[in-house]
Amino acid sequence: MATREELSEFLASVERRAYKQALFAVRDESHALDIVQEAMMKIAENYGDRPAAELPLLFTRILQNAIHDFFRRSKVRSTWVTLFSALTDENEPDADPLDILGPTGDARTESSETRYEREQIVAIIEEEVAKLPARQRQAFLLRYWEDLDTAETAAVMGCSEGSVKTHCSRATSALARALKGRGITL
Amino acid sequence: MNQDEFAFRVRQALNEGAERLDYKTVLRLEQARAAALARQRRASPATVRLPALQLAPAGAPPLASGGGARWLRGLGWAAPLLALAIGFVAIGHWQKEAEIRRLAALDFAVLLDDGPLEAYADRGFGALLQAERRIEP
Repeated sequence: MATREELSEFLASVERRAYKQALFAVRDESHALDIVQEAMMKIAENYGDRPAAELPLLFTRILQNAIHDFFRRSKVRSTWVTLFSALTDENEPDADPLDILGPTGDARTESSETRYEREQIVAIIEEEVAKLPARQRQAFLLRYWEDLDTAETAAVMGCSEGSVKTHCSRATSALARALKGRGITL
Repeated sequence: MNQDEFAFRVRQALNEGAERLDYKTVLRLEQARAAALARQRRASPATVRLPALQLAPAGAPPLASGGGARWLRGLGWAAPLLALAIGFVAIGHWQKEAEIRRLAALDFAVLLDDGPLEAYADRGFGALLQAERRIEP
């Protein structure tokens, strides 16, 4: 069973990422905070007696459900329609980010950052992540930010592992393309 | 750069962004965490089944577990009932013996009396005895 200290440490370690994920999804700071608080409450109330090792995946699922519930409650159907329509990306779904980024992007970022510039870049990346279609963003963040494997991501998203791979690939391509369009190469 | 490398760099940027949240947001998150911790579900304590209170004879060994204990628990209920039944039987037997003794004494008294036995069947003699009994005190 997770002790109070373990649960506290766990929540402290994930709360900022959770807030950002909620913010990317709902694009409203107040609602994002409410969603994170709701997820924290749920995991503490319903799963506070579970082993600490189970908390990360449980919290991820609860948070994703809380985000879904927010949209359900808000009845933002049109938003979902727009986002889902973007899943069928007509622009080269199999495009390789290598081609878009170019071979020299890596070195440029590593060598020429000032703090201000870096903050600007981070802000732009966050903007572009937020602009990704919902399912692509969800797959990308779960897989690469939350460190879930493909099977866990598929379970959280309620889709097949193949779909997760497709979403991640398209998200990476779209993100690389968008960043390159704004003069940023990673 | 492959997809994983690209994702790793995006991840680094996202981590940086998450670390630079404004004070107000960080405070709200801390408050939310504290509120959640206050409502943490605790594991329910394991249910312990205690044996029912029962009488045991002096010097009896401690109750064994398992089948022996079950047998002794059964005896704990049966023994008082058995004692009660034995008590009723003994009381009934004692009352019967007392009645026999009383009738025997009566018969003995009648047989030793000087009066004829027919006198006891006479209604007038019975009335005389009752009248004498009323006068005697």
